[in-house]
Amino acid sequence: MRKFLVISAIIFALLGIVFTILPLGTIAFLPISIAVILSGLAILKSKNSQRKLPKIILFISFLTLLVVIGKVIFIKDVVKSDSQFELKKEESKKEDIKDLEGL
Amino acid sequence: MNKIALILSFLFAYGIGFAQIKSNEKLIYAASYNMSGMMTQLAQVTMSTDMIKTTKKSFLHLSWEASTFSKWDKFFKIRDVYETYVDPVTLKPSLYKRSISEGGYTKTEKYIFSGNGRSINSSSKKQNRPETKKTVAIGSSTRDIISMIYKLRTVNFSKFKPGQNASFIIVFDEKEYPVYVKYMGLETVSAGNLGKKQCYKLSIAAKTDKLKGRDKNLIWITNDPNKVPVLIRFSIPVGTGQLSLSNASGI
Repeated sequence: MRKFLVISAIIFALLGIVFTILPLGTIAFLPISIAVILSGLAILKSKNSQRKLPKIILFISFLTLLVVIGKVIFIKDVVKSDSQFELKKEESKKEDIKDLEGL
Repeated sequence: MNKIALILSFLFAYGIGFAQIKSNEKLIYAASYNMSGMMTQLAQVTMSTDMIKTTKKSFLHLSWEASTFSKWDKFFKIRDVYETYVDPVTLKPSLYKRSISEGGYTKTEKYIFSGNGRSINSSSKKQNRPETKKTVAIGSSTRDIISMIYKLRTVNFSKFKPGQNASFIIVFDEKEYPVYVKYMGLETVSAGNLGKKQCYKLSIAAKTDKLKGRDKNLIWITNDPNKVPVLIRFSIPVGTGQLSLSNASGI
């Protein structure tokens, strides 16, 4: 049981890290929360000498949780100005006016 | 004078209000996609209008632009533009263009409405394939998807009863599709900088595999003369999502 909890906690903690790197926003809370619960349970099921690994997983999970909270609070959803796209639109509009003149 | 009154009453009776779409209107939406049951903001959609003058005529330029938020650009960059040039009064389209750039996939499409709107001269290009040209016969009331949405905003829904339909025919991917818009009643929804607004809730259905589910494709438009679309929920084969109004100006 302990082994199962530790392995599952590692998998969800890794998923949490991947989701934190990707711009998935609050979805990252899902694997991180599971990793926190599983690593917590693994600590309870472990003897004192076996608690190092689940404690590390729990620490990493809390760390990723903080990163996600920080990203949600401080990183705003913005569209970067795209000069290439703007130029393409301007050229397209000039072409459209030519087409419209012919109608 | 009586004739004019008769024509006006006829038009209003059939729900074709004279609500005009203004030039320089700008509506900004946040587009979210449902991922594992949670809505994740992916892109910004901008609906804008501006007047274009040629030597012979003026056209109202209706444009929809979708751009992914910068945090997504590295993973899946979207730069889509759907635009149409219409008659400012009747909203009948003359030129429709679609330019798609989604994570490396590109497609462009152009329809020139000719023969009094009875046919379209279509040219389309996918990725690096050669451009294809085609003339497609269409019905006189057929319009493109963008002008249809704007035309929807001129419909007088105050005369509708819940369950009543308005119908349109659109041309998309060089094929005609009937589109049915069902009035579902009034609801109050959050409308970005406009605050909370009472809206007409409408369900959009089309005989196409591009839309999924019954009453899963919904649009809420404000119950006021501006008829601003404030919330759009869609269900497509690859998932569900929504566009929610964040800022409206020029209305």
